[in-house]
Amino acid sequence: MTETRGSNEALLEVKDLRTHFATADGLVKAVDGVSLRIRPGKTLGVVGESGCGKSITALSIMRLIERPGRVVSGSISFDGQDLIALPEDEMRDVRGNQISMIFQEPMTSLNPVYTCGDQIAEAVSRHSNVSKRAAMDRAVDMLSQVGIPDPKRRATEHPHQLSGGMRQRVMIAMALSTNPELLIADEPTTALDVTIQAQILELMKALREKNGMAIMLITHDLGVVAEMSDDVSVMYAGKIVEASDAITVFDKAHHPYTRGLLASIPRMGVKRERLEVIEGVVPNPLNLPKGCLFKRRCPYAMPICDNPPPLREVTPGHVSRCWLAPDGGKPELGEAPSAAEAEAAAKTLTVANP
Amino acid sequence: MTDIRTPNTLTTPPPPGAAGIAEADTLVRVDNLVKYFDIRGGLLGVSTIGAVKAVDGVSFSVKRGEALGLVGESGCGKTTLGKVILRLLPATSGRVEMDGQVLFDIPAKGEKPQRQSVYAGKEAMKKVRQNMQVVFQDPYASLNPRMSVGELVGEGPLVHGMTDKKEREALVRDMLSRVDLNQTHIHRYPHEFSGGQRQRIGIARALALHPDFIVCDEPVSALDVSIQSQVLNLLNDLQAEMGLTYLFIAHNLAVVEHISDRVGVMYLGKLVELADVDDIYARPSHPYTVALLSAVPEPDPHRRKKRIILKGDIPSPANPPSGCRFHTRCWLREQLGRPERCTTEEPQLRSLGHGQETACHFSEEISATAVENAVASSAPIPTAAV
Repeated sequence: MTETRGSNEALLEVKDLRTHFATADGLVKAVDGVSLRIRPGKTLGVVGESGCGKSITALSIMRLIERPGRVVSGSISFDGQDLIALPEDEMRDVRGNQISMIFQEPMTSLNPVYTCGDQIAEAVSRHSNVSKRAAMDRAVDMLSQVGIPDPKRRATEHPHQLSGGMRQRVMIAMALSTNPELLIADEPTTALDVTIQAQILELMKALREKNGMAIMLITHDLGVVAEMSDDVSVMYAGKIVEASDAITVFDKAHHPYTRGLLASIPRMGVKRERLEVIEGVVPNPLNLPKGCLFKRRCPYAMPICDNPPPLREVTPGHVSRCWLAPDGGKPELGEAPSAAEAEAAAKTLTVANP
Repeated sequence: MTDIRTPNTLTTPPPPGAAGIAEADTLVRVDNLVKYFDIRGGLLGVSTIGAVKAVDGVSFSVKRGEALGLVGESGCGKTTLGKVILRLLPATSGRVEMDGQVLFDIPAKGEKPQRQSVYAGKEAMKKVRQNMQVVFQDPYASLNPRMSVGELVGEGPLVHGMTDKKEREALVRDMLSRVDLNQTHIHRYPHEFSGGQRQRIGIARALALHPDFIVCDEPVSALDVSIQSQVLNLLNDLQAEMGLTYLFIAHNLAVVEHISDRVGVMYLGKLVELADVDDIYARPSHPYTVALLSAVPEPDPHRRKKRIILKGDIPSPANPPSGCRFHTRCWLREQLGRPERCTTEEPQLRSLGHGQETACHFSEEISATAVENAVASSAPIPTAAV
């Protein structure tokens, strides 16, 4: 932890991103004011439970949000260009070239009627001016880089002929065939068995080192996050609730939700009669509580929590969206300040860019 | 304690202590259970051209009041094993006994002396079924969307003769409160509940007949992290309250460690290790268990460890490797210079003392140094390029 956050240029900087879905039942604010930064060559783990908006954040960065969804506001700056303002054809050059994405279920992301080789070669020739032959050679080379035995033969096979772990390798080979600066991996190992997961994680680490690419790793598995990430952002109900470097988040979590998550998972080698629980369920996105979104499940909930807490720095580089004082004690304002007081405090405390 | 369990014939009850525990303690006894799924093929797709050996000769006992965890990767046969024990799937051969009642006893092909298959009759089976229930993985798929919570939970008691409506409703309400669901939700339908609540309905449904034995098949793997711990605590509480016996099937090793008293590890249709939970996690005695434990990423960035990376995928259960089924991926065999015994002789579950059983010829060779060497030789990219 010798580096301080912000001292390096960010490769990707998302500011105040809002992606909303106008559904028949009402407006779902799937992503509501998310800010992230990913440093070049580093891995950012984005953690959260289903429905917290982590995948929608990734799709927004890739500009793959479909109706009724819409990026309502915010900025996404990548390598100095604002992705939101980019015309679609220029975005297409970024997508799959500078930023690649892999998904959870490789079977649904691969085209069943093309061979694996063809699909990788397509990505290669889309982004570089090479002959068909050279593109196919590159595809075979990529397959061997991701550890697929007999890559020449595998390149001629269709996705259904491969196992789940192999398909995920094909996805990774495709994503990396254009040497992206950023890889967005959305639950890349969730559908895999643990011995295969270990293979894929090791592979991602080796390729990260070799190519110097940054990774945005989206997962609900705190083990995978601890294993892979330099930085961690925790999301809850469409907002970032805590962010810092990985060591700080795991050792000195500030937000009650992060602390609850860390306490509730069973760990190997740790005997406990009972697991800590987070009471209740994730709020309905159509009917979010006023103020802090976590207050109904929070063991520390107080009257002040009826006002939306600011995302503020608790220690340098460590932000948390909670009214509790930075040391975890009672809030400085007292437990029940007036709404106006709380609002004014929130304004001054908020860090615009974690 | 014998190394190889001989299948018991009906006339001679299993010898006491056959699985290392006293007879009186045993609630469920599984003996040499085999389940093959035929692969159809040929011109009309009616001839049998092979078989998927989902469960291939598994024996163990579950003691009354214990939670026996069963871990393994997808396709290892753990779910099939659970279903065959409950007779939700017909066995190919083997014997299962529940609380002294033989559910079935089917001789293996070519077994000598020849004998008839024995099945518990319809009436007897109905009685046994009251005593054994199952909680499924997917709370979205396992509840009939057209039945209300009251009907779902009350269905078992109705089938088993509790015809009085008032009595049944009282029972359902009692069950709902036991699983921490609101009693007033008795008339609601599954879609009105969250995943965690639905799993509670599934548990209430299993409990409604006051069974002794519950097979929990991946009961928390479809749930979010914060909900998992709620359901695990509930299962623990219910076990203590109602004296339940669990066969807890899961792939998450940390979850299994938390809930189980003993743990069995399956690989390709075989039980490769069986031991007390503390022993198996502290001193795994099968190279597959060692690799499995090593592969789990721990939620602690200070403990990023090097792991044993197994080569390749699980082989197909339709055509399992000869000898030891794990030999194609085994790191210990590599270290020992690929002894021939691994490919020619199928290891049987044998006792290492203190209740730990392993199906490896070379368990004694597993040491801290051996594991370190295996970790060191795990290449970052598992398979050689071109």
